Amino acid sequence: MNKLISGKKNAGASGTEKKIWYKLDLSAIVYPTLQRRDFSSVYRLSVLLKEPVNPEILQQAVDAALVRFPTYKTSIRKGLFWRYLEPNHRPGPFVQKDVRNFCMPMPFKANNRYLLRVYYYGCRISLEAHHSLGDGSGGMYVLQTITAVYLRLLGHTVSNGFFVKDIEETPDPEELEDAYMRYANAKVCPKRPGEKTYRVRGTKEPFYTFNVIDGILSVSEVMAVAKKYNATITEYLNAVLLYALLKKQQNDWHLRLRPVKIAMPVNLRRFFPSKTLRNFITMVYPVVDPRLGDYSFPEIVAQVHNYMRYYINEKFLKGDITTNANTQRNPFIRVVPLFVKDFVVRLFYTRVQDKNSSAGLTNMGAVKVPEDMKPHIERFDIYMGQPFSSRTNCAIISFEDILTVNFASSIMESDVERYFFRKLVADGIHVTVESNRT
Amino acid sequence: MSYCVNCGVELDGSLKKCPLCNTPVINPCELQKLTEQNAPYPKEKGQVDVVKRKDLAILTTVVLSATALCCLLLNIFVFSGSPWSLFIIGACLILFVLIFPLVIYTKLPVYLSLAFDGAAIGFYLYMITFNTKSDRWFLQLALPITALATILVEIFALLLRTFRVSFITTALYFFVEIALLCVGIELLIDHYREAPLHLMWSAIVLTICGVIAVALLTILSKRRLREAVQRRLHF
Repeated sequence: MNKLISGKKNAGASGTEKKIWYKLDLSAIVYPTLQRRDFSSVYRLSVLLKEPVNPEILQQAVDAALVRFPTYKTSIRKGLFWRYLEPNHRPGPFVQKDVRNFCMPMPFKANNRYLLRVYYYGCRISLEAHHSLGDGSGGMYVLQTITAVYLRLLGHTVSNGFFVKDIEETPDPEELEDAYMRYANAKVCPKRPGEKTYRVRGTKEPFYTFNVIDGILSVSEVMAVAKKYNATITEYLNAVLLYALLKKQQNDWHLRLRPVKIAMPVNLRRFFPSKTLRNFITMVYPVVDPRLGDYSFPEIVAQVHNYMRYYINEKFLKGDITTNANTQRNPFIRVVPLFVKDFVVRLFYTRVQDKNSSAGLTNMGAVKVPEDMKPHIERFDIYMGQPFSSRTNCAIISFEDILTVNFASSIMESDVERYFFRKLVADGIHVTVESNRT
Repeated sequence: MSYCVNCGVELDGSLKKCPLCNTPVINPCELQKLTEQNAPYPKEKGQVDVVKRKDLAILTTVVLSATALCCLLLNIFVFSGSPWSLFIIGACLILFVLIFPLVIYTKLPVYLSLAFDGAAIGFYLYMITFNTKSDRWFLQLALPITALATILVEIFALLLRTFRVSFITTALYFFVEIALLCVGIELLIDHYREAPLHLMWSAIVLTICGVIAVALLTILSKRRLREAVQRRLHF
């Protein structure tokens, strides 16, 4: 059986000395602080297969695959000064039937203390993970490895590679590292300008409701349109979201106009080689300021294009990581008890960080899978999870020629989504919409 | 396959209206074909996991009972001059009653837990009478004030849970109840001092609260004014 699910002819030894606990990485420190009864930083990755999912076999696949990811089979604990991850040997996580209002808050002591959930519905397998375990790329390794093991258990041949890890292999220590600390060595810490931005106001849905609108597009169509504006797909979709937010602000009642800013995570693995499966992202904030005048759509695209070229490079990103790391390295901050840190971080987040952007947008990019896994997969979905305040989060992922734009929000209004998709339609892109709204 | 007439997007077969603009899908032939299997998301809603706080409940109960019992034994066998342990036993009881709905029985109706809180405070005050010369202050002052405060808090909870809550209505209930409480306290004090029932200091509170309540009622009755206040004071 081991040979069958490992996908490797010569299975290697897996018995290694297990580390007893893991420090939270630099980003992961913030997420548990924001935990509330009605909010957790949970994201979801889904894969839509071509056949309905068998839950018993999926459970076997989860059990077999999770051993390969020691930082994901953990629970979170409180120390006197910091939280940490501790290996979790309780039974689980158990696969469960999917629900309409997914990305639910994840209390640390529930679900046998696992910070992971695996769901199935029809042909879809979904993985929900707390952000303190890792970012979307890390989660994608877990999801694809589970999917590969599942397909192998069904009798298909699926090789390892890309996001599919060999489950018989011992985890590389680099996969478990806090990669921020390796690269946070700039000589200067650039300050981050914080400014109040436009906030989408909406009617809050009752607890716990999660509204999702998915747009399914063709990669080639979007690429052709983006090319027309001399932009990449990310830049173009970023510009469309900025355009939608500008339009929403213009049409809503407002005392004064505010800049519209998008919080966009950048995968740092592209710039700083690391195999880490934990968080390794930083945020950039493309912005358009309507107080300077009315922006036409090509101007917004040009603004985003130039912003990205200027800020997303190794030097600027290293400065950004160093600024973050210096806070954690500061000996005075380190000796402050956890509850004081929690209070200060939460206050800073709600007062400054959360008000620093109008919406979130993440682009996972084109997902690669091993060649023999491709025929079994229809598409991938990614959801940024429940937004901290009343706004909309947008996540983009593509597989082969299918590009999926997933909007998630906890408010009743869907104005931003409407302006976004109508703009795509106006640009000649065919959009198919799915939703869990009734 | 349906398209939204407003947005121009193609709609998934399971959608009965466009999720972007709520325009209904008017295509009777397609609607008949709808089946649950085709829906991209399940219909069932999930419940957020509830964390059991049994351990905390046990710990709290044990700590409070042990404190009360130790003090009682010390009072009986060691420092037996006066019944001082009643202060501590009463405090432990109040803490237990306050913590009870938070960690032990979380589904207790709010009115009942508020009544228990009032009763616990009343009982604690009664225990103090064992350390004082007379219990007149308790019967004529402490007990009626506790009862009045409890009733007002119950009414406050009832109003908040029955009617639509907004910043302005909450303020209205608060100021009216503060005025009633102050008037009640002054009349009870007069009665305790066996003086004629006269409003003095509470008349000032009553006037101020009355003015505020009238202003709030005016804001509530005028929609335009209400919206303007809510817009300016939202947080």
